[in-house]
Amino acid sequence: MMKFWNKRVKLGILTENPEFEDDIKAIQKEIKDKINKKFAGSLAIRMVDSGSCNACEAECNALANPYYDLERLGIYFVASPRHADVMLLSGLMTFNMQPHVLEAYEQIPAPKWVITLGDCPAMEGVFEKTYAIKAPADKYLPVAHHIKGCPPSPREIIQGILDFLKKV
Amino acid sequence: MRFIARYAKEREKGFEIVTVYEDEIQKEYVPFENPLIETVTKKYPAAIWFERKMQDDFGIIIKDAFDKRPLVHQERFPKGVHPLRKDFTDKELEEGEYLPYKYEAIDGDGVFQVAVGPIHAGIIEPGHFQFSQAGEDMLHLEVRHFYKNRGIEKMLEGKTLQEAKPIIERISANESIAYQICWRDIVLQATRQKLPLALQKRHALLLELERTVHHLTDLGFIPNDAGFGAALAKGSKLAEDARRKMRELTGHRFGFGSIDFANKFIDTVSFSEWLEALLHSVEFFQEWIIDIPSLWDRFDTTGILSLKKAAKYSTVGVVARASGLTQDRRINKFYFKHGFVMASEVSGDVGARFKIRLQELKNSISMMHNFLEEDESVLELEMLHDGEYHSFTESSIGELFMAIEIKNGVIERFFVRDPSFVNWQALHVMMRSDIIADFPLINKSCDLSYAGNDL
Repeated sequence: MMKFWNKRVKLGILTENPEFEDDIKAIQKEIKDKINKKFAGSLAIRMVDSGSCNACEAECNALANPYYDLERLGIYFVASPRHADVMLLSGLMTFNMQPHVLEAYEQIPAPKWVITLGDCPAMEGVFEKTYAIKAPADKYLPVAHHIKGCPPSPREIIQGILDFLKKV
Repeated sequence: MRFIARYAKEREKGFEIVTVYEDEIQKEYVPFENPLIETVTKKYPAAIWFERKMQDDFGIIIKDAFDKRPLVHQERFPKGVHPLRKDFTDKELEEGEYLPYKYEAIDGDGVFQVAVGPIHAGIIEPGHFQFSQAGEDMLHLEVRHFYKNRGIEKMLEGKTLQEAKPIIERISANESIAYQICWRDIVLQATRQKLPLALQKRHALLLELERTVHHLTDLGFIPNDAGFGAALAKGSKLAEDARRKMRELTGHRFGFGSIDFANKFIDTVSFSEWLEALLHSVEFFQEWIIDIPSLWDRFDTTGILSLKKAAKYSTVGVVARASGLTQDRRINKFYFKHGFVMASEVSGDVGARFKIRLQELKNSISMMHNFLEEDESVLELEMLHDGEYHSFTESSIGELFMAIEIKNGVIERFFVRDPSFVNWQALHVMMRSDIIADFPLINKSCDLSYAGNDL
């Protein structure tokens, strides 16, 4: 166990990695201020996958890794829509998922916003319309903001959330 | 004889049912007017989802099936609609009458049901798990999927192999390279060409890099599901490093669009250095994590899949190898020559699946060293020939099977069996002696794909 802590101390804080930290720092203060002002200190996100390839989910999971450490900005992924301010929606809104997505949206207390993540929910990606696809999502939900990409990188997701905060 | 897949194709006057086993492919024909087939589930229980899928997709009737519930078509799906039939061309579905799905449930004094999903509490794909519980003990689990069904098979019909490529590589992002390699092998069969060694090595390198990312992610997430978050911090850091390498090599963090027929420059010196450093980190991680008793208390004897059951349910990949099955699509000359050693464990529990990932990760790192190649060769593709082709690749989850029929230069039928499609069906037998709190841990130790399963 000592060996682990020795290495841990030697490694230091990865989040200070200059290649990233400088960029993030520039937007970090802005994000923190926005969140403090508009969402009483934290922004709670409920991620819903409506039929993606799992890349957008993997990138959202990456937001928790030591390089990005999203939570230090006061942005959290929450387990229940009832705890959320924002629904982050990925995927093609499949025929089978659509009723469940709408139900999850119903469960979010107002005021609430929908951010679409990746090209799929906007039908801007490579997938073509089939009987099983109901996207674009804005036919069924009031989409406040869209984050482009296939998938958007963790940096682009953070940037996208900031852009959304600028709008509201 | 190991069962691999079973699927249907529409022909002029009826359906062709193709059943793929390890050593042979069997075909039978049934007419449209009377599309009756016999089940093979008595011998191969994993065939049940394939047969229920056929029933939904084509309206084929399995006369002696014990389970005739719809699989892909959920409560609101219009009845009597079989979307993979050629005469079905609608792009919109009218919602049908809501027919509740009858879950497999155990009744009894004090036995109750726990329904979980489709939307889960974390950042995960949607799927449903129905538990029959006696207190904390799981008596039965039914896995119900296909929430993510996007109609991929239908979407790809009528496209050329080149047009289909961007979609195929996005069926399941964690296995994108594996899907692309299956596609590549079908292209090569259709053009009757051989791949230059340098390209073969580049593709194999990328496949091992994809496996590295996936295993590193799991090595963090599995302990995290046992309440040990420090491992996730370490695992996700290393996984991010590997993903950035993937981007450096392919221009994309998931390697979308990376398998083609031109070899690109790799900075072999810096890549080797990175591999050295990664191996060092992984060895450190292993030494550290093996020594944490409270973690292994949760891992050992949890979620056991016996060798007998692993074989009976036709499991593949990490799950199969953790239960002692010798099953890996990399068992061939090319891989052995480049340092492949098949990982193997026998206890079939969460701990075994975790250790398999550690072994495979280290083997992938040493193989990547051997796959480095500076030769920049290019393969010019020739004319495609119509025909039926199939290919196998060992993805980070397990054996991936893809079959494409080309007619008049375009795809007539596309079928793919993700390793998850068989492994999901074995999940319920792992739960027999565990409590419901162990379920997330057991599920994560298999780390199966929902997107690849649902198509």
